[in-house]
Amino acid sequence: MNANFPTLIWLALVALTLTTYAIGASDMTGSGAMLTVLFIALVKGQMVANYFMGLRHVAPGWRLLILGWFLIVGGLIALAYKLT
Amino acid sequence: MTAEAKNQHEGLPGDFAIWIFILAEMLAFGVLFVAYAFARAHDVALFNASQETLNRTSGAINTLVLITSSYFVARGVDAIKRDLSRDCAWWLGATWLLGAVFIAIKSAEFHEKFSAGITLSTNSFYMFYLALTFFHFMHVLMGMIILAVVIVKARRGGYGSRDHAGVETAASFWHMVDLLWIILFPLIYVIR
Repeated sequence: MNANFPTLIWLALVALTLTTYAIGASDMTGSGAMLTVLFIALVKGQMVANYFMGLRHVAPGWRLLILGWFLIVGGLIALAYKLT
Repeated sequence: MTAEAKNQHEGLPGDFAIWIFILAEMLAFGVLFVAYAFARAHDVALFNASQETLNRTSGAINTLVLITSSYFVARGVDAIKRDLSRDCAWWLGATWLLGAVFIAIKSAEFHEKFSAGITLSTNSFYMFYLALTFFHFMHVLMGMIILAVVIVKARRGGYGSRDHAGVETAASFWHMVDLLWIILFPLIYVIR
């Protein structure tokens, strides 16, 4: 593994975390903010699972399982939010 | 793990058993995350007011700590694949230290809430907040115990490019702890 690539992934994860924090610190509320932070969580989860955990070298079913977990859990969180 | 055994498990890093454990833990946390979201839907005002009392900055710093620790542990796995035992032990040691930083920050948050007289029975927000984050906290501690065992063995040269399933098993567990926090932080500290 090229040492530069995981470092770039780490920098992207830091930037995405700071974006989520900035949304939390601002007065941004509502569905747009909620969907944005959930989407950021999905992207971060995929980066960690595929590049740090190394699932991109594994049978696709395992990657789909992690992606599915984020989609289902995130989707249900969004659904519950919309019920309010 | 031999190449043959790896093929049997579709190339999953580490011991196959840890993957069953990871899936079971993610399922349990997933149910609790969704339960939190639906409980919130019943009393949005209470959840939003209680969330305001959390230290969002501590939560964000702990997110950065865990993400960085995940990066470090991945570097540790990469090092052992190249037979660099000492580098591997160094990266895993740095991961362990970040785990300790996470524990320290989270303990300070717990202390602040307990000092204010907040308990599991204060209201449903705090019940979820304390239960979920404490449950996760225990997983960080467990990950640190696993890492400590692997670090000791790595320092003694117990792993190498052909035999590093132990390092990958510890790393996979650690990444799971990070994955859970990636949802926990926005869900409990940010979304309102």
